[in-house]
Amino acid sequence: MPKIRINNIELEAEEGESILSVAGKAGIFIPVLCHKEGVEHYTSCMVCMVKENKTNDFLPSCSSLALDGLDIDASGEDVISMRKKAVELLISEHRAECEAPCRIVCPAGYNIPLMNRLLASGEYRKAVDLIISELDAPEIRCKTCAGYCENACRRKKIDRQISIRNIRIFISQNLYYGGGPDHFIDQTEYRDLKNQFSSRPGKLDSNELQEWLKECTGTSMRFESIENFESAGEEARNCMHCDCRASEDCRLRDIAQAMGIKDKGRKVVNMPVTKKINHKTGLIFEHAKCIKCGLCVRVCEDSGNEPALCFINRGFISVISEPLTMEFDDILATQTDTCINICPTGALSRFK
Amino acid sequence: MNKEFENTETRSCNCQPVNTAEINSVIDEVVEFTGRGKDKVILILQEVQKKLNYLPSDALKHICRVTEITPGQISGVSTFYSQFRHIPAGKHTVKICSGTACHVKGSQLISDAFRRVLKINDTVSTSPDNLFSIEEVACLGCCTLAPVVQIDGKTYGHVKPTQAEDILTDFLRSKEKAVADGDKAVADDFDAEVRIGLGSCCVAGGSKDVLSRLMEIRERYDLNLRLKPVGCVGVCNQTPLLEIVTKDDIHSRYTNVKRDQVEEIILKHVPPGSLNKKIRYKINDLADTFLSDHMLKSPVNIPAEQREKYLNNFTRKQIHLATLNSGILTPDSIDEYMLLGGFDALKRTIISANPAIVTEIITQSGLRGRGGAGFLTGRKWSISASVQGNTKYVVCNGDEGDPGAFMDRMLLESFPYRIIEGMVIAAYATGASEGIFYIRAEYPLAVTRVRNALKQCYEKRFLGKNILNSNFSFDARIFEGAGAFVCGEETALIASLEGKRGTPRIRPPYPAVKGFMNKPTLVNNVETLALVPWIINNGAEAFSSIGRDKSKGTKVFALAGKIARGGLIEVPMGITIREIIENIGEGVTEDRIFKAVQIGGPSGGCIPASMADTPIDYEELTRMGAMMGSGGLVVLDDTDCMVDVAKYFLTFTHKQSCGKCTFCRIGTKHMLNIITRLSEGKAATDEIDELERLCYSVKNGSLCGLGKTAPNPVITGLKYFREEYEAHALGICPAKKCRELIKYVITDNCTGCTKCFQECPVNAIGFKPYEKHEIDQNLCTKCDNCRIICPENAVEIVNINAEDQNK
Repeated sequence: MPKIRINNIELEAEEGESILSVAGKAGIFIPVLCHKEGVEHYTSCMVCMVKENKTNDFLPSCSSLALDGLDIDASGEDVISMRKKAVELLISEHRAECEAPCRIVCPAGYNIPLMNRLLASGEYRKAVDLIISELDAPEIRCKTCAGYCENACRRKKIDRQISIRNIRIFISQNLYYGGGPDHFIDQTEYRDLKNQFSSRPGKLDSNELQEWLKECTGTSMRFESIENFESAGEEARNCMHCDCRASEDCRLRDIAQAMGIKDKGRKVVNMPVTKKINHKTGLIFEHAKCIKCGLCVRVCEDSGNEPALCFINRGFISVISEPLTMEFDDILATQTDTCINICPTGALSRFK
Repeated sequence: MNKEFENTETRSCNCQPVNTAEINSVIDEVVEFTGRGKDKVILILQEVQKKLNYLPSDALKHICRVTEITPGQISGVSTFYSQFRHIPAGKHTVKICSGTACHVKGSQLISDAFRRVLKINDTVSTSPDNLFSIEEVACLGCCTLAPVVQIDGKTYGHVKPTQAEDILTDFLRSKEKAVADGDKAVADDFDAEVRIGLGSCCVAGGSKDVLSRLMEIRERYDLNLRLKPVGCVGVCNQTPLLEIVTKDDIHSRYTNVKRDQVEEIILKHVPPGSLNKKIRYKINDLADTFLSDHMLKSPVNIPAEQREKYLNNFTRKQIHLATLNSGILTPDSIDEYMLLGGFDALKRTIISANPAIVTEIITQSGLRGRGGAGFLTGRKWSISASVQGNTKYVVCNGDEGDPGAFMDRMLLESFPYRIIEGMVIAAYATGASEGIFYIRAEYPLAVTRVRNALKQCYEKRFLGKNILNSNFSFDARIFEGAGAFVCGEETALIASLEGKRGTPRIRPPYPAVKGFMNKPTLVNNVETLALVPWIINNGAEAFSSIGRDKSKGTKVFALAGKIARGGLIEVPMGITIREIIENIGEGVTEDRIFKAVQIGGPSGGCIPASMADTPIDYEELTRMGAMMGSGGLVVLDDTDCMVDVAKYFLTFTHKQSCGKCTFCRIGTKHMLNIITRLSEGKAATDEIDELERLCYSVKNGSLCGLGKTAPNPVITGLKYFREEYEAHALGICPAKKCRELIKYVITDNCTGCTKCFQECPVNAIGFKPYEKHEIDQNLCTKCDNCRIICPENAVEIVNINAEDQNK
């Protein structure tokens, strides 16, 4: 059995075992993005880098074999900075945001996107409960606020911002409509935005902005002044869902957060932002969030004849896509959930 | 942020020139002949594209229907390799070479000129009338004729931007007449043998014209001549090359032969056949002497010594092992190869009946892989031999993709039998039963020659069952690559053979243990295999006595760029850069100053003139930050900008990256962004440091050799020419090359001849006869036409920002 050293600890490995696996058994943490136990390795993200001390070579631990005699540094300074660089590079291509602009700028930290979503789906009582739970003063602060949320609203760049302020003021005047203290929304499942990593989308051109309209679910009827829950709901349906569906469940974000990375917003662009929606299964694919790890491609590889996602193009412009011969609506009839679950980012998610 | 999206349209367009039934029947026919396995996808796509001009979406669908290929696979593969088109191309394809040698000689200006003439803007590739498509190709392998343009197989060398229109007209007017190959069937007893190079460079230089003229003359004067097409001689910049060997074994060689010179050259050495033809020749000869003075300049009047001086210099320092018998051997003739000792090494090997000894000889010889990394060949063989298994493969890596390198092409074209012999020996030593020649599809002549050679070898029983009546059996076939530089990496090459996207995977396991179809696979470079027969014939010691230290034997280099005499050379390891440039290449061109030499293409680096006395071997080159690579050697002079050269290579590697690992995919993009901004004078000085840090991240963090070596051109640039980078950060290009930083001005030398006015394609120069002309900087596209045409050298390039400072 091969014997290797990781962080100066002598370890025994199985024949053909990866360094990552040996380290994992010894309780040494190595972050991964493109790797998933049970799926054949692809060695793409390079976030799991370790260093061989004798040769000073950097090795991706997920697929490098634990060969006899290796002396591995899995937590040193060089290793950490190499991993950090890899994540920074991935973020520099990640033209997406973790949180919606309206929520980021709100001085009170109100969860505006969630409110819009509840209103849009007709869950008015829940929306009221949300607002009650957010109250930290007798009055909601929107009345005296200059409306930073509306200024930041992406919809403003297309036609007119969502009337967030008026919606909130209307609801605050109808708090009795809510379900009472038992129904308050538990805000602890959402992170506090302070000191949180949040990716930024960089510059977006007007054609790209149009893609966000696909996120709107309503009839495009607009209401500036809000007089009842119906008009609030209708207006909320025009919200473009700028926040990421995976904002609470994103391995890329977690790793970036853990590494203390800040997104400076200078992005490289390989193709325009697009949003593809599979109307049969409810899958939404946002390639700008994709890190090209290919987990979704690999997980479906041996699954018979069902058309799945695949890589197209080469190099910097390579993307995950439906096959050239198929429509996006016709793929992944049964494996949508498998793909969504394995995606380390919010590139694949369910359109609701 | 870069707003120009790189992504190009990959979907089929709506126009469907062929109907579905037709498409389907074409595909059915192709599949019948290729087979239906998943691994056949590249071959099927190649054949279908040959017939349909492009790959319509309907075709892809039908292929999936009638084969085991899945929609995902066909989409991935057909968009990965550059050879495949999803939109129709024009009737003729104008291939503009953007190899290193062509780049430093201004291929960008050529491309601009053709685009302007054909009205093709940057976003499309086909002219509005669908007659021409423009394709920028990595390297046509005619580096010594740079810059080169090829239209449907017809090659134009030394192209100037002003000639774009003429070339297109010339092409349309003269559809190349096929030169009937083959010989007049005459007696064995010839008066003379005329050897003419028919390598790709020679053909590009016009050797087919010369050949057809030779045949006319042979007919006309009834000469008893044997016309013998030979492979590449290596003197590619002097093509076409003619060698006449008379009965008394006197060799006379002529370089740069023109069609109209053929007659007198031949008649000087070979007497006309019949009497009345002799008389006619005499009369013509006399008349010529009286009527014109051209005889004085005619090549036959130049003394042989002078005429051949260059050739002799060119060959003196060389040692021909891989290129043994170059210029003598007819590439297609197995009999001749055997006559000159071919297959002796194989016979010895088989008689020895001891594979271990063969491997031992190769190990002892110190031969290292000639593909670039320099792994000990013998060691690779012994690993492969020691792996248990019934099925093993040998792959000949002929996916030479370096811009500026063409030795593998030349070896495959000129010495196909030697490489086959090397492969069979390797197979015998490692116990392999099947061999695959992986050859770039861009090398059609190499493919044809190897295919023919394989056929001949089967007939002579050097291949097939029970080779030379032993119990050793071995089969070999060709696989045509589809255009992806990364497939030169062995694991990517194997993925490509298996019908996948050519992405590398991590090693170990090495292919020698787990390769093609998960079987042990020995992957050797073309040149490595070509050296094997010589080593077996002459012994390990003879080989290791050539070269130095850990680098033994010889290396073939493609010498090009700003050099007086470029070409293909085989030199002993350890020769210095200076010896190559000054003795073999006769120094840089046009009295310019030798600045640097780029070795190893996109994986290598620029070595400054001050280090030209360093011997060339694997370790020394690596120490200097360059790399052997596959052996491109491009000479740069003081008009070459190091930032521009680095940008050129980065553009290449960035385009050729497979896109698998983060560092190579995104890292090279960031590097390219910074260096592009530098070349435009938009980057600040501290960005140079950022660039340097990125270089080391990409070098350490990439998965395969492509990414690990991609920063080398920048790293060496920063190491040896940092001041040039810093000048760019201040907005000045010292070599006056970077387009955004320079402008064209007319000096007081202008005589007002109006030639520049006539040549300017954008009317940036007004018509002012006998007055000093001026260039309107707002209109000028910096096409260089005015500078080329000016008879007074009155057009100068100046740095925009330098001038501002002076004011």
